[in-house]
Amino acid sequence: MKITIENKEAKFLLRIADTALILGQRVAELCSNGPFLEEDIAQSNISLDLFGRAEELYKIIAKIEGDKYTADDYVFHRNEREYFNLKLVEQPNEDFAWTIARQYMHDVYVQEVFSQFQSSSNEELAGLSAKVLKEIRYSYLHSKDWMMRLGLGTEESHRRLQDAVSHLRKFVEEIFNWDELDREYYQDCDKIKSNWESEVNATLDACNITREDIPSQSMRDYRDGFHSEHIGHLLSIMQYLPRAYPDAKW
Amino acid sequence: MESGDKVWEVFVQKKSGLPFKHVGNVHAYDKKMAVQNARDLYTRRGEGRELWVVPTSEIVSVPLDDADAFFDPSEDKPYRHATFYEIPDGVKHL
Repeated sequence: MKITIENKEAKFLLRIADTALILGQRVAELCSNGPFLEEDIAQSNISLDLFGRAEELYKIIAKIEGDKYTADDYVFHRNEREYFNLKLVEQPNEDFAWTIARQYMHDVYVQEVFSQFQSSSNEELAGLSAKVLKEIRYSYLHSKDWMMRLGLGTEESHRRLQDAVSHLRKFVEEIFNWDELDREYYQDCDKIKSNWESEVNATLDACNITREDIPSQSMRDYRDGFHSEHIGHLLSIMQYLPRAYPDAKW
Repeated sequence: MESGDKVWEVFVQKKSGLPFKHVGNVHAYDKKMAVQNARDLYTRRGEGRELWVVPTSEIVSVPLDDADAFFDPSEDKPYRHATFYEIPDGVKHL
């Protein structure tokens, strides 16, 4: 199966859907591996929200594309270069600080994204956004709370959060390298960037994390299907079952 | 969890106006974490609209040794139940 996507809006929405899906898969890896029982369940809830969000977006994409493929087709039958998620969200769960820093940076970003989608001319997308923003709000409160706890916690928790932020900030630049599609479907790209920066910078200051200078990156853009080295492993685990047993049913 | 955490009792209100019901407990370091953990454990399937968390150590209970003194005397006093009244014919909703 070679999945092709024709429509411009579908191509644009695929970036948002893939970002939700891949982060959902990463967070799902914490299920039964959380730092303690309550946080394990919190992370599983966040993961399920992300999968639900991705599924609804794939359904909207499928509809735009004339139902050539199902949501499952998009998830299980595309390879690395056919995925268009932010590199930020495919980064591994090195430790709990990575998980939290990644989630926080993502939450602030999608809060801006779905706020703008609320006034989209695509009614389904606008409707979905209202529901999704509540989930994002909770996830944001949760991840921001942990940013403060870790940043202002022990010497070790501060060091781990600083390492996580320093590493993950390398993957932020590409988020704001807007292209034609972004400019067409967001009302205000610059606002996404400026709101993201002021919110994240204020939080990093408040939790005592420094923003180290990052040398300009020579990474190729996620909008063209480029990834870090982690995506292949993630997909191989996520897609194994339906690829090995195409007729398998729940 | 390591030292520093506490156990908190969780009460959920299904909807505004109804009484809060005890549903279980959670571990957490402080109030904020306690309500978040309670939300994630006890309201993820639409169980409620409001939550209370109370440190377990703040709950006052009757010492087990005193249970007989506290509760046994009420067992043979059926007249404390309002079941010895004739209900007038006109009363419909009792």
